[in-house]
Amino acid sequence: MITTTMATAPPPTSAGHGPGTHTGGGVAVELENCRRTFGKVHALDGFSISIAPGELVALLGPSGCGKTTALRAVAGLERLDEGRVLVGGDDITDVPPHRRNLGMVFQAYSLFPNMNALENVGFALEVRRAPVAQRHKRAGELLELVGLSALAERYPHELSGGQQQRVALARALCAEPRLLLLDEPLSALDAKVRAQLRDEIRRIQLEVGITTLFVTHDQEEALSMADRVGVMRAGHLEQLGPPSEVYSNPVTNFVAEFVGSVSRLPGEVVAPNSVDVMGSRLSIPASTGGDLPIGSQVDVLVRPESIRIRPQADGTAVVARAAFLGAVVRVVAALPNGVEVTSTLPASEGHTLPAGTRAGIELLGDVLFVVERQGSE
Amino acid sequence: MKPTRTFRWIALGLLGLYVLIPVAASLQFSLEAGYKGRLSLTAYSQALAEAGLGTSLLTSVKVAAGAAAITLALLVPTVIFVNLRFPRWRAVLDAVSLLPLGVPAVVIVLGVLGAYRSLPSIITGTPVILALVYVILAMPYSYRAIDASVRAIDMHTLVDAGRSMGAGWGKLFSRVLLPSLRSGILAAAFLTVALSLGEYAIASIMGFNTFPVWLVGVEGNNPYVAVALSISALAFTWILLVALALAGSGRRRRSRGFGAGLVGPEGEDEITPSLAPEEEAVA
Repeated sequence: MITTTMATAPPPTSAGHGPGTHTGGGVAVELENCRRTFGKVHALDGFSISIAPGELVALLGPSGCGKTTALRAVAGLERLDEGRVLVGGDDITDVPPHRRNLGMVFQAYSLFPNMNALENVGFALEVRRAPVAQRHKRAGELLELVGLSALAERYPHELSGGQQQRVALARALCAEPRLLLLDEPLSALDAKVRAQLRDEIRRIQLEVGITTLFVTHDQEEALSMADRVGVMRAGHLEQLGPPSEVYSNPVTNFVAEFVGSVSRLPGEVVAPNSVDVMGSRLSIPASTGGDLPIGSQVDVLVRPESIRIRPQADGTAVVARAAFLGAVVRVVAALPNGVEVTSTLPASEGHTLPAGTRAGIELLGDVLFVVERQGSE
Repeated sequence: MKPTRTFRWIALGLLGLYVLIPVAASLQFSLEAGYKGRLSLTAYSQALAEAGLGTSLLTSVKVAAGAAAITLALLVPTVIFVNLRFPRWRAVLDAVSLLPLGVPAVVIVLGVLGAYRSLPSIITGTPVILALVYVILAMPYSYRAIDASVRAIDMHTLVDAGRSMGAGWGKLFSRVLLPSLRSGILAAAFLTVALSLGEYAIASIMGFNTFPVWLVGVEGNNPYVAVALSISALAFTWILLVALALAGSGRRRRSRGFGAGLVGPEGEDEITPSLAPEEEAVA
């Protein structure tokens, strides 16, 4: 089942064209009811999505959810058992991959080892038999766009991982493709380089204005880069919407728990759209859906920022562990019934809640999601 | 660590002596040519004048070149496509490539003569058939050399990347796959050539006058010339090895800008394991 919080695809956050970088503009992309099965595994199970021209959509999900299969189906590197792929209104489902005019960046090891950076970037034009001078000019412009003009003559084994991925990005853009596909391009890089490159990819994507489909299992990447995030599970979309929407208003239990972190607290429905959690009465969010009868025993999902844990000598909770994460401290406190709640404090206050401290728990009123206790979705 | 390194050098030294002492003795034998204590190149100059040297060497070289060409034409596409499309068949291919190791030379000759009896005489009556046999004999080694280089690269990703940029299979082969597999291809070619140049039993049974067959004939008449020719063949093989190593290492050539070490705004970037730490250049 596909659940989307947006009826139509919105315009991108911003889009523009850099001088001499890309003149093709963005095109709309649609996948209609796509299915792909590997043996007994349904990698894609009725997967449908619409991407607006110039938009960056991130497909987010756990390993095996079908996000890479969806991306490869758009690229033509994976055939579909059912469904259609349309790019710019053209049905390209049966078009071989080398005729689709798409640009793709892979996770790692995709640069041709026998060519230097300039030759790698110009390869798409070499395939199209462009004159050497034109290839080198265009490749030079793109290397400048990604900040690597000084390394044009280096071979892949002489480049760092981050540099290789920048070259790969420039190479994907060389022939002015209609669509850019990114298959977890940052996952093989270390955290610092990943953060730098993330911003750079987004900057280039906005500058060039190319429609982009980005696959990742990293939530921070998806939420920070995308115009919309599609959360996938078992071959279909659970939710598609802007990052803030997916984070703050999940429409399924899976999305609520997969995106960000949550604490699961026991509660009871005491009134229509109202639930009692540890003595506090909180509203049930509209996105939860369904009518929960009064008296239902439920699990309430709450974000760490909606929980305050403070030292309290007569508190019923006990701090189980406190993890220093740099700017913040993540504190986990155990309730008498064994349930654990998580909250974050500024690092300057972390010393007040070492493990073993008695604490009080306060809910700040924002319930993320509610599920009936007997089963989860 | 030190005791292990010392042991390694001792082992290498002993192995070196085991190999080099007979070679040195042979070299001395060929240089003395019966006159103990007096060294000269008499045996070598006599070797050059021996009748049949040129034709037998030419036959061996042609057969070796033909065997190498057929090996590469047959195995390179096979290994690539099996790894790309039919990975489950790798084990089968692996087993098939080992079969020649367990078959004696006489049995191979009888089998080949029987199997190819109906082929035109331009194949069965000439050294062409010898080249075909050597392709099979070299297969345990040539297949492994190519397979090792295929497994060393992420071929699936390279092919996907090339296809996504519009390359057909011809372009992929010529511009991406073959250059990436160069070291394995060269190794396979060399191993086939080395085996072909040194093979005696099958060539002798089939009646072809290749260099090793001719050399055995010469040995009966003039052992000093025979040893001189053997030393020369060994030297030639070593030169081939060095050429192969140089050709394979040419891939790791350095660019002009490498190591300039300019500091970028982000400071030091993370590196691939093969490089010393370096800083990213300023855009």
